[in-house]
Amino acid sequence: MKKNMTLIVFLVLTAFSAAFITGCAEKNTIVKDETVQEQKAPAAEEQAAPTPVLQEQSAKAEPATTTEVSIRDINFDFDQSSIRPDAREILKANADILLKKGAAKITIEGYCDERGTAEYNMALGERRAQEAKKYLVNLGVKTSQIITISYGEERPLDPGHDEDAWAKNRRAHFAVNGK
Amino acid sequence: MKIISKVTVLVFCLCAYLTFSSSAAAKIYIDIDAPSFQQFPIAICDLQPPTASTEKTTESGIAMADEIKNYLSMTGIFNILNKKSFLEDKDLSMVAAAENIYFPNWAMIGADYLLRGNITKINNEIFVESRLYDVTRGELLFSKKYNSKNNELKKVARMVASDILFTLTGDEGEFNTKIAFVSKNKSDADICTINYDGSEIKNVTNHKSIVIGPRWSPDGRYLAFTSYRDGRPEIYVRDLRNGNDKKMASFEGLNLCGSFSPDGNKLLLTLSKDGNEEIYILEIDTMKLKRISHNYSIDVSPTWSPDGGKIAFVSNRSGSPQIFIMDVDGNNTKRITFEGNYNTSPSWSPRGGRIAYEGLVNGKFQIFSIDEEGNNLLQLTFDNAKNEYPSWSPSGRQIAYSSKINSKNKICIMNANGLNIRVLIERANSSLMPSWSPRFK
Repeated sequence: MKKNMTLIVFLVLTAFSAAFITGCAEKNTIVKDETVQEQKAPAAEEQAAPTPVLQEQSAKAEPATTTEVSIRDINFDFDQSSIRPDAREILKANADILLKKGAAKITIEGYCDERGTAEYNMALGERRAQEAKKYLVNLGVKTSQIITISYGEERPLDPGHDEDAWAKNRRAHFAVNGK
Repeated sequence: MKIISKVTVLVFCLCAYLTFSSSAAAKIYIDIDAPSFQQFPIAICDLQPPTASTEKTTESGIAMADEIKNYLSMTGIFNILNKKSFLEDKDLSMVAAAENIYFPNWAMIGADYLLRGNITKINNEIFVESRLYDVTRGELLFSKKYNSKNNELKKVARMVASDILFTLTGDEGEFNTKIAFVSKNKSDADICTINYDGSEIKNVTNHKSIVIGPRWSPDGRYLAFTSYRDGRPEIYVRDLRNGNDKKMASFEGLNLCGSFSPDGNKLLLTLSKDGNEEIYILEIDTMKLKRISHNYSIDVSPTWSPDGGKIAFVSNRSGSPQIFIMDVDGNNTKRITFEGNYNTSPSWSPRGGRIAYEGLVNGKFQIFSIDEEGNNLLQLTFDNAKNEYPSWSPSGRQIAYSSKINSKNKICIMNANGLNIRVLIERANSSLMPSWSPRFK
């Protein structure tokens, strides 16, 4: 009696895991597609430079004026907040400028591309700003100098709907608040 | 003998499992929440002049019947039979004179239910009597009288439809509900509301800023939302009675609004004040804050279960945004979505059991629902639009969502199984993040 039950349970479990494995296989294919898409991104992003349009927008949102044009934006991969190798160089240069400026306050603005959910992108934008902040703090900029704000997908730099535009829009912008 | 019955049960479970899992790939309508699976076939007769009168069907009688049909069809659970197929009612005055219904004639055209009624208009006041019959049993289900002083045809039709719904389903449906949404014009957004029947679009806020995620309090008096009105994301609660906004959270970094608790005393929030995005419960009266998630990943979009015991939320702790469930104290966290690598915007059915969300399939966002255990996944939308932000109706039978394709921005309502899509609003302005109100008294 008990033996029979065990056998049945085993059979059922086997069937379930078979179904599960099929499911996993499908999922992997999707993930792969995504990766291929993402790898195209960096090339396009390197061309992205901060434009005056963005500075106007940040000035509107914060009572701040951006004075330093040589402080550059950094870009991110889709759905990622980790600092890319190309962004590390930019952050180092940005930190040097900030350290020279002394006690200037800066606002790091985190942005996402239009894909994804507005609410999740708000969190992702904040995370991007936080990651950039951590990097600058490690390079000697004081925590108290930096505040972060996320604009999620709400204020795209490039209004386009293709990977070029998206790559530019996934960014952290550094607004130096002049005195 | 006992073993055989156990085997039968197990085999049955397995079959059920396979059926449900395959439904994720193909559109198969096996859904425990699927009322349209058995849409009620109903015949609505044009309302007649009162019994004593010899007049023929009046315009208002036809108009009233059409309005009732209109309201019933909004619910998505009625199959309204074409009146051209009616076998009876050929001689209208005869039928009106004597309520002798030959039920087999109605059963023959496929009607399970039949609505008959009368309408009189005296000056500007209308008097309506409606009678609902069960055709298969041949019995009267209700007979009710209504009147409206200001000739409000729609209002009376809505009351009749509501009574029919209540008789057949045990709840009064969604006729007295609204849907709040974010209306976005370029970069400025505000919250609007619209009635269930698509009437009365009203502006609620005037922030002209980034505004996201309106959520109703369970009594329908308040709307909580996130707004950048003062330059950064902060959480507000709007009192709809007096139009006042109260700022509920303005911590450093991100302040994002989640849903109210079912008792209305607490609000779920996402805050980044402790260094990364975590979920908190705010006690509204005392403003006491309690952190409930503790994970280095993004935790966002919390929504309460209808019994108040659990919270569904989005986390990217497994590498991509997925839906998770935890107890209100933050324990027993469990991932429930495993299909696809971008699943967000969870919304818990008021009847419990299922969670609707949006997921990325082949580069498009579609609406799905899944049960609390992470089983019985159903894809509900399939078109080429960006379908997002599902929100359940109070009865749990319908789901509102936003649907964007090219420059067309719509908010749609569908049955919980994805059928019967109705466009609630379509405008050039973006209409996003619909949130379904509770029933108003």
